[in-house]
Amino acid sequence: MIRSRRRWAITLVAAILGVLVVAQLRSQAANPGLSNLSAQELTLVIANVNTRNESLRAEVADLERTVASLTDAHDRGESALDELRSDLAALEAWAGLTPVVGPGVSIRVTGEIGGEGVEDLLNELRNAGAEAVAVEAVRVVAGTVVYGLPGGLSVENTALPDGFEIRAIGSSQILTGTLTRAGGVIAQLGATYEGLTISVTPLDVVSIPATERNLVPGHGTPSL
Amino acid sequence: MTAVLARIRALPSWQVTLTGALFVLGFLIAAQLAAEGPRIRYTSQERAPLIETALGLQEQQDALQTRILELRAQIVELEGEEPGSEALVRQINAALEHARIAGGLVQLTGPGIIFRLEDADNPGPERDSLVTARDIRTLVQELWLAGAEAASINSERVTTGTAVLDIGNAILANSAYLAPPYEVRAIGPDDLYERLTTSASFIEFVRSRIEPYGLRLSFSELDAVTVPAYAGTIRSRYGRPDPSAEPVR
Repeated sequence: MIRSRRRWAITLVAAILGVLVVAQLRSQAANPGLSNLSAQELTLVIANVNTRNESLRAEVADLERTVASLTDAHDRGESALDELRSDLAALEAWAGLTPVVGPGVSIRVTGEIGGEGVEDLLNELRNAGAEAVAVEAVRVVAGTVVYGLPGGLSVENTALPDGFEIRAIGSSQILTGTLTRAGGVIAQLGATYEGLTISVTPLDVVSIPATERNLVPGHGTPSL
Repeated sequence: MTAVLARIRALPSWQVTLTGALFVLGFLIAAQLAAEGPRIRYTSQERAPLIETALGLQEQQDALQTRILELRAQIVELEGEEPGSEALVRQINAALEHARIAGGLVQLTGPGIIFRLEDADNPGPERDSLVTARDIRTLVQELWLAGAEAASINSERVTTGTAVLDIGNAILANSAYLAPPYEVRAIGPDDLYERLTTSASFIEFVRSRIEPYGLRLSFSELDAVTVPAYAGTIRSRYGRPDPSAEPVR
């Protein structure tokens, strides 16, 4: 009887200690970065990740519809060429392989700015949900970089003129609001580069060309 | 006193051990609570559920990304079995494959470099001793300029729409939270590292940003670096293919 009680007491203490140690290790190891963030930063991270999860759910729903439609056509022995064509058009437009049109903004940049400043502007456009972006006649895709010192900017081996235009497709309201908000990227760049002027014009129709960059990998092998 | 000692001696040894262990545990908990000031205790209480929520959302995100990759693989398979006109189907499938590779929807393996970017060993109160989104963007841009053909940041593929942002001390890419340390992978020509390290702008980045603030930048050059597929949305709400453009097919 006494031996049994002893065992129970030791088992209980060992279990409690085990749970505490594992919980402590997990909270530290699961995400060392998160545990270093303040409550406000965590709230912002949660809002961003949550928004992304919603868009991922929408993507899953879209893909499931495509699978159902292809399976259905396949089962009936019918062709789903229209589905394939529509998939292809969407993919090519997104990847920058074909020209696209839509509402958006035109951004006029005049005055001296460095390549990293223009890249900050492009990054903020992507953050605001720009679906396609062009710097003058160059479509911005993965690998496109605006580089150089103020007064000597280039993109895809093409020199940019002193005053140049960036065009982006997306919600003109969100794009304009994000760029021009107090303390936003335009305000920050204005504080960094003296004499720089950046004006944003919302437009109903913006045309973005296809990329001329070769996006087929020459060194990597795709896992299809 | 002698009576008390005699009673303790009479106790079974396991009870003494257990009492000692519980005493130590109680002491440790009390010491921990006493060491934290009231403000820290308040914020700790506030942060714990937020960290739990963030981790839960991150798990959901991982599951959704896995599902997207599975569905895309299923679609590729179904498209390959399309019963329409053989030549036309082959042509469209080849174009689809090309677009998927070009857009980064397919995992790529090839020669390249893996960089690891970390905060300074003993970061001070200044933000400069921590890795920022701009540091990661600069490294990726330098890799593109040196000839990289694919890049990723932690498990996020860099695509045409990738934004890398600071949210306080946290960094997000493709709106996904990036846990430090930050790993930038790139595939490119055999002399990618040489091209990168001889570039004036990369040298300037190391001189002005890495060295003075103690940020840690390490790398490995490998024959086979794997850059993951983009597992995010490609839905377009505003843009549409330009109808005035010449139809390809």
